[in-house]
Amino acid sequence: MKRLFSSGFKYLVLAIALIFFVLPVVSALEFSLRKTGGHGHALTNYSWIFQQEDFSLNLMISLKLAALTAAITLLTVVPAVAYLHIEGQRYKRLFEFLAILPLVVPVVSLAIGAQKAMPEFIQNSQYELAFFYVVISIPYTFQSLNVGLSSIPLKTLVEASRSLGASFRKTITMVILPAIRSAVNAALFLAITLSFGEFTLTSLLHWETFPVWITRVSQGNILGSIALSMFSLIGAWLLLIIVQSAQTFKSRSKSQPKEAAV
Amino acid sequence: MTIHLENAINRTATRKGGSAVRTLKGFAPLLPFTMVFSFFFVWPIFQIFKNSITGADGKYGLGAYRLLFTKAYLHAFQGSLRLSFFSAITAGLIGALIAFYVHRSSSSMRSIISMASGVLANAGGVPLAFMFIAAFGAQGGIILLLKKIGIDLYGHGFTIFSFSGLVIVYSFFQIPLMILVFTPALDGVRKEWNEASESLGATKTQYLRWVLIPVLFPAYLASTLLLFSSAFSAFATARALIGGNVSLVPLVIGSLIDGNIAVGAEANLGDALAVGMVVISAIVMVFYGLSLRWARKR
Repeated sequence: MKRLFSSGFKYLVLAIALIFFVLPVVSALEFSLRKTGGHGHALTNYSWIFQQEDFSLNLMISLKLAALTAAITLLTVVPAVAYLHIEGQRYKRLFEFLAILPLVVPVVSLAIGAQKAMPEFIQNSQYELAFFYVVISIPYTFQSLNVGLSSIPLKTLVEASRSLGASFRKTITMVILPAIRSAVNAALFLAITLSFGEFTLTSLLHWETFPVWITRVSQGNILGSIALSMFSLIGAWLLLIIVQSAQTFKSRSKSQPKEAAV
Repeated sequence: MTIHLENAINRTATRKGGSAVRTLKGFAPLLPFTMVFSFFFVWPIFQIFKNSITGADGKYGLGAYRLLFTKAYLHAFQGSLRLSFFSAITAGLIGALIAFYVHRSSSSMRSIISMASGVLANAGGVPLAFMFIAAFGAQGGIILLLKKIGIDLYGHGFTIFSFSGLVIVYSFFQIPLMILVFTPALDGVRKEWNEASESLGATKTQYLRWVLIPVLFPAYLASTLLLFSSAFSAFATARALIGGNVSLVPLVIGSLIDGNIAVGAEANLGDALAVGMVVISAIVMVFYGLSLRWARKR
């Protein structure tokens, strides 16, 4: 069979892509290791990060908000999607449509609405952010759960559990949730990464979380800010790689017995 | 047997409870979602629509929208649309080309690239902007490297703090996004089509022109529209990188929120701009949905 393009061209494309993605990272890493004054390299800028007194404070705030976002997602999105698959099929299309809407509305627009529409007592609490993070991540979490629930023999499971006398809540927590655990994990992970990196809404509502703090402290120390950026980018990437490879590993080990059976 | 009986009894019991109560009870698992969604999403969005048609005197009016069509704000919309268009087209083309090769690579290569794309597509925000400042700034490693081999980009007027700089930075997460969303469409291309067209005597160009491109175009369009909308609403990277150098709608809204300007017709200008963004973004998403449907029919 003739090839559509020669393989030399293929390697050229891949090489250029590699350069485009690797070079900025390497170059920025080199920059972040430069010493103030210009000569030589050292880890000074990285140790500067940890010397900042608000570092752990803001990291804690972001962690707390991420945990809260995951908890709210678990309590709101998970039961809703499960219900839509089990009993509420008539509402399914409506809710699928609703779940896409946060993608249609730019976060900047939501921010200006939030600033004007939220009552005072909510605007005074930093925890309002977690609810907004939940809403912003709904297009992704909803979709992930939707796919997960479509892939299991839901009807059989529910009928079996109901005929054994379980209530809706019990069916969800003891039968459905364990069956779609990986989809739930993926959804929660999406919600957590989103909440951890959210900058637009947070900064426009004048709250300080880890990403907002990074921007503020970096105004005084450009080398430090680049070290901080590389720290948070590479940290997030490592986390994503770990989760993704865990998932690939899991799905591989799951599919292996099947292949063995065939 | 007894269980079935119990179930039957339960069912009749709830049926007796009256239809309104039953509907409410049946709706219960949707309630937390609906409440959070309504209060933290629908309500704020409703407010910006309402505010945008309310004048400073509290009466309804289109004053804010009239301002929208003045030069400064039209310019911002133009800037946003141009940026989204150029970055979507560039990233879309390059991403599709890479996806094409990824698709034909070995499975281990494929999983490495799809993992890398998943990770890189999540890059964004302020850290990404700083990374590019470090790499492409006047003192950045890449710029210094190019200078050594005789290419002085900054001497030729290039700066990362500009429109074209922003297109480069956006490509960093948009190309991987394109690879992610476009690769599944390539999986639908059958080897037999190429073989069939070859056996009918078609050249490579003819195969491309009459088979591959028509088949893949809807999915390509849908993916590009997704890139467009992601660039259109991006805020953090643009704010950290260019500040006020290039006029973009999200940046204007941001500065209006920060400035708290509340005089005259400008009081609700931010809301009108926000509605404008929602409308444009909604139009893009409608076309996205249509082209997805078109792609599925193929």
